[in-house]
Amino acid sequence: MEPPRSSGVGIDNSGEYSPEIAETLRFEEEIQSLIHPSSFDGSAAPTGGGSFTALLGLPANQAVELLHDSGAREPLASRIRVGEHPVHRPFHLPLDCSSAFPSNATLVDRAARFSVFAAEGSPASSSGRLKAEPQDSDSPPLDPIPTGPAKRKDTGRSKAKVTAKKSKNAEENTDGDKLPYVHVRARRGQATDNHSLAERARREKINARMKLLQELVPGCSKITGTALVLDEIINHVQTLQRQVEFLSMRLAAVNPRIDFSSLDSYLSAECGPVTVRNGPGGVVVDPSLWPTDATAEATRRLLVPQFWHIDLVPPQLQPQQSLTTWERDGAAHSQLLPNPTTSLFLYDPANSGDTNVPHRTAKLKTAEDRALNL
Amino acid sequence: MVALRFLRALSLVRCSGPGARSPSYRARGIRRAAYACMAASAGPRRAWSRALLRKIRRRPGRGLRRPRAVIRRRRPVGGGDPLEVALRRLVPGGGCMEYCRLLEEAADYVKCLAMQVRLMQTIVDSASHVNSID
Repeated sequence: MEPPRSSGVGIDNSGEYSPEIAETLRFEEEIQSLIHPSSFDGSAAPTGGGSFTALLGLPANQAVELLHDSGAREPLASRIRVGEHPVHRPFHLPLDCSSAFPSNATLVDRAARFSVFAAEGSPASSSGRLKAEPQDSDSPPLDPIPTGPAKRKDTGRSKAKVTAKKSKNAEENTDGDKLPYVHVRARRGQATDNHSLAERARREKINARMKLLQELVPGCSKITGTALVLDEIINHVQTLQRQVEFLSMRLAAVNPRIDFSSLDSYLSAECGPVTVRNGPGGVVVDPSLWPTDATAEATRRLLVPQFWHIDLVPPQLQPQQSLTTWERDGAAHSQLLPNPTTSLFLYDPANSGDTNVPHRTAKLKTAEDRALNL
Repeated sequence: MVALRFLRALSLVRCSGPGARSPSYRARGIRRAAYACMAASAGPRRAWSRALLRKIRRRPGRGLRRPRAVIRRRRPVGGGDPLEVALRRLVPGGGCMEYCRLLEEAADYVKCLAMQVRLMQTIVDSASHVNSID
């Protein structure tokens, strides 16, 4: 279809067309003069030196860009729109893969039309674009648009092309999890049923989650095989749960009485601005860095001032307090008795005054209620 | 976030026991508080945190059933794989989820558990460290 059109571009057939088309032909000549020195190759090569096919070599987004660029020249183009239709019929996109892309064709048509004026306005830029763009592969902008025909055609493709496109579609697939459509490309030799596609997608999801788990559990990245990895994960969870139990027992044993309200206020002062900064999602990740240091520091800071409270306590209270509390607690505390510093823990509620304690418990109870009510 | 909640809960457990409380009772209370804080800080968006909190709150022998429409046991999965069954038992709320979601929830659960363990370890260490100061 090229030769008759290109001859139409020439000078001979001008008498057959209406004067509007004659204008088009004049523009085509201008384009040809602009384009020929730029020596475009690649995808435009099979179509020869036709001006419009050179413009068709542009990818769709370039076409859109041209559309926007020459938006001011719309009224001019509409004049020749009627005349150009018969000329555009025999056009075809230079690539093999584009058998049925009507949307692209119309876009490129308009680009072809408008690039006439774009070439007039900025010949350097358009020729530069024409030089650069045909070298680009046209597949990325064309791929996302039709998936139905592409899916069926893929099984007939060569493997190299498919694997190259598969890597591009891999990113689309991960985005496709959020979109309503999942654009999946079938590999060579694999079935393209809906069922097997869905199963493959599910298997890939499971593998991704398994990889995440492997990273979380220490020592799991070296293990190959799903069963062993799962075994390791289960082991790790059980270990963590047992650790929680042991630590809670130790906590119950070590500090029978610590005033946590001041610690509470210290920490809230510290992490108030931090929590405001964090979004709702990042709560788990970020505080893992600082609370351990903060709590260590805070507990140390809290427990140390209790040394000073000794001076305020009348000495006769000392033996009574220690005896009663240690009698109440079990034998686990007997080892702590000889240690003089542990008695400090007992003093704190006494020092802070008995009247304060019930008030604080009420406050803390509401705090825990708030904590438990999500 | 977790640290705050946990310390508050700890002090609450402590203050509720000026009377005779055995350390094992206190240990159980601390463990319960630890899980509650962990679940509360993880947020209601996680299935395991919701299930965990439900389990904790339901413990005090509640016979009254809420008339809320709760979708439970949407699909009891026939567990053929013993590993999968074990994982379901370990992760709170793991009986009703699909395998894919189970793995996701397990990852989050492991993360939060590890953080909780670190926190508790720090508290114990700092407390015993102060103890050992002469």
